[in-house]
Amino acid sequence: MTEPVKKKKPWLKRILTAFLVLVVILAGIYWYVATEEFSDTKSRDADYTVKAVELINEFVKNDSAANKKYTEKIIMVNGRISELEAPDTSAVNVKFIDPVSGSFIIFAFQDSHLAEGKNLKVGDSVSIKGSCSGGQYSSILGLTKIDFKRAALNK
Amino acid sequence: MKKIILFLALSVVTGSVFAQKKVTTSATIKFDATTAIDNLAKAENKTAIAALNTQTGEIVFEANVKNFTFTNPTMQGHFNGSSWLDSDKNPTFTYKGNITDLTAVNFTKDGTYQVKTEGTLTVKGIDKKLSTPATITVKAGAISASADFSIKLADYGITGSPIDGGKVAKEPKINVSAELK
Repeated sequence: MTEPVKKKKPWLKRILTAFLVLVVILAGIYWYVATEEFSDTKSRDADYTVKAVELINEFVKNDSAANKKYTEKIIMVNGRISELEAPDTSAVNVKFIDPVSGSFIIFAFQDSHLAEGKNLKVGDSVSIKGSCSGGQYSSILGLTKIDFKRAALNK
Repeated sequence: MKKIILFLALSVVTGSVFAQKKVTTSATIKFDATTAIDNLAKAENKTAIAALNTQTGEIVFEANVKNFTFTNPTMQGHFNGSSWLDSDKNPTFTYKGNITDLTAVNFTKDGTYQVKTEGTLTVKGIDKKLSTPATITVKAGAISASADFSIKLADYGITGSPIDGGKVAKEPKINVSAELK
């Protein structure tokens, strides 16, 4: 007399396989999110291209509308460098200042583009692309300041 | 003649007042909330405004929250999101305070001076008292200031599962530095 064949449980195998696939997918998503970095600003298309003084005037006239339009967008700004400031020995910030209002745009350069920022001089006409962080009235300075992060020289 | 003397006196006084206020628009604020299990929660802002009045010891800072730069886009999104800093509604960090032992500093003599500061830090629209030591360095007429301190996120209403789960430090370290002119 032969032994009865033990019945397999195909549903258990399917559940285990599905669970394993789910774990692999979740691990892949976590790895992607954890290792993702911002792309090089230089390689990104600008959402807007503007002249420095015109951008400053938009923020001075109506900062809420300008913030809504430009914040977290990639903007290419054309202008003449008014000031260069060094927050530390490894970095440089570029400023376009409106001579009438004193309000200004300030660009903090992306780490990979610090070298090109350091070669700039006051008075240079340049085109800079960066991620706009919005503009606010400064109670310390009594004027409007517009911040850019991850900036890169366009030309 | 009296008008000339008055004009000259006013010029000296106003010139002196402006000379006392040292300012930069490129102060740096570093924020480090990394933990043993996650190293993504750190950022820096290199376009903060800072001012120091060498006569009164008043110190003020302003920083655009959205200009903190993270390497990771998701972490930057969380940082600015409504459950964290809600930067759409509260776009700036501010600090207003004073050097409480101003006589410890000689702004006309090169040197490194340890001072105490007290003031109010405003994060997410919430004011909290902050007392911290700071270092003032005077070199060839240029003044630099720096301070290291930590804050409790819960004091500013910043909570969430990444903090409870240990992925973000409950008391991040903050470094502030400024070259004032």
